[in-house]
Amino acid sequence: MLLGLSGLHQDNEVTLEAIGGSGNGDGGVRHGDLLVRLTEAMWEGEPGPLAAVREELLAVAGADVLVDAVAVSANFHMMTRVADGTGTPLDPDTDAASVDFRNEIEVNDLVSRRHVLAS
Amino acid sequence: MDEWSSAGTWWTGAQRLAMVAEVRRARDADTLAPWESPSAVDGLIPDGHPLPDAVVDLVWRLTNHPGTLTPEWHASILGRGVEALAYVEVVSIVAQVNCVDRFADALELDRVPVPEAQPGEPDGQVPADAEVRLHWVPTVDIGGPNVWLALSGVPSELEARSRLSTPHYLEGRAVFGDVVSDRFSLQRVQMELVAARTSKLNECFY
Repeated sequence: MLLGLSGLHQDNEVTLEAIGGSGNGDGGVRHGDLLVRLTEAMWEGEPGPLAAVREELLAVAGADVLVDAVAVSANFHMMTRVADGTGTPLDPDTDAASVDFRNEIEVNDLVSRRHVLAS
Repeated sequence: MDEWSSAGTWWTGAQRLAMVAEVRRARDADTLAPWESPSAVDGLIPDGHPLPDAVVDLVWRLTNHPGTLTPEWHASILGRGVEALAYVEVVSIVAQVNCVDRFADALELDRVPVPEAQPGEPDGQVPADAEVRLHWVPTVDIGGPNVWLALSGVPSELEARSRLSTPHYLEGRAVFGDVVSDRFSLQRVQMELVAARTSKLNECFY
């Protein structure tokens, strides 16, 4: 949801395809394809692809962008474990706001899907 | 690392450092399938390990398969003798180590070395109004998004997690309060793309 909200303030249209994986374009985000590839390489942890995408991002965007992007991904390796380790349900506002795009980004079938039960 | 090596609310410094070591073993080992517990694999957990088997199983599963956890699995861990808020402290340590180590690994930096454990005993303090509400675990109604509340039953862990999130991502209030401003060298939309893709890879619905 935050990708969509922050994208409203960009000059170009931000789309959600890039969340699905590299090869889906940049999603309207500057260096979006490389950022997704970096994120995937961090996830996979294979030194070769990780070094390759690091070098590419370094060349086109610089060291600060590389380090800051790695930091953001690292943070979400933490937050996903906090959320899923504690059985955190989606907040009602987010639940309502994300109905339209959850199918598009293919998260509705995840085991970790949890909602606040209606009272 | 001082925080990890000091006694927490539920675990000693030595036990907390053992959790750090188990996160690293889990990440560096040949991955077990989600339904395979390290405690069920001969020789994988050495005799005299400072952590109960159930905690080692928790550390490995949360490290390598966070998107597969279910309420039944959580109940099974508690059923093996892990206190509800002691469980929360383990989740917090595992999550933090995954953050710090994955940052280092991605940039080919040395992982933070494990120091000697500091003396001290956990005090087992339970916040007065901690109870199971929306999460599997007891929380305190401190307001804010559900993921902020997740560790609230162990306040020192909520603070530790926040201290890591601020330099890696955003200060808490800015997450939903300001979706426009750039942060360090990144546009906010770049940050959210990385965040969303990382969450999807971890199969995290939240």
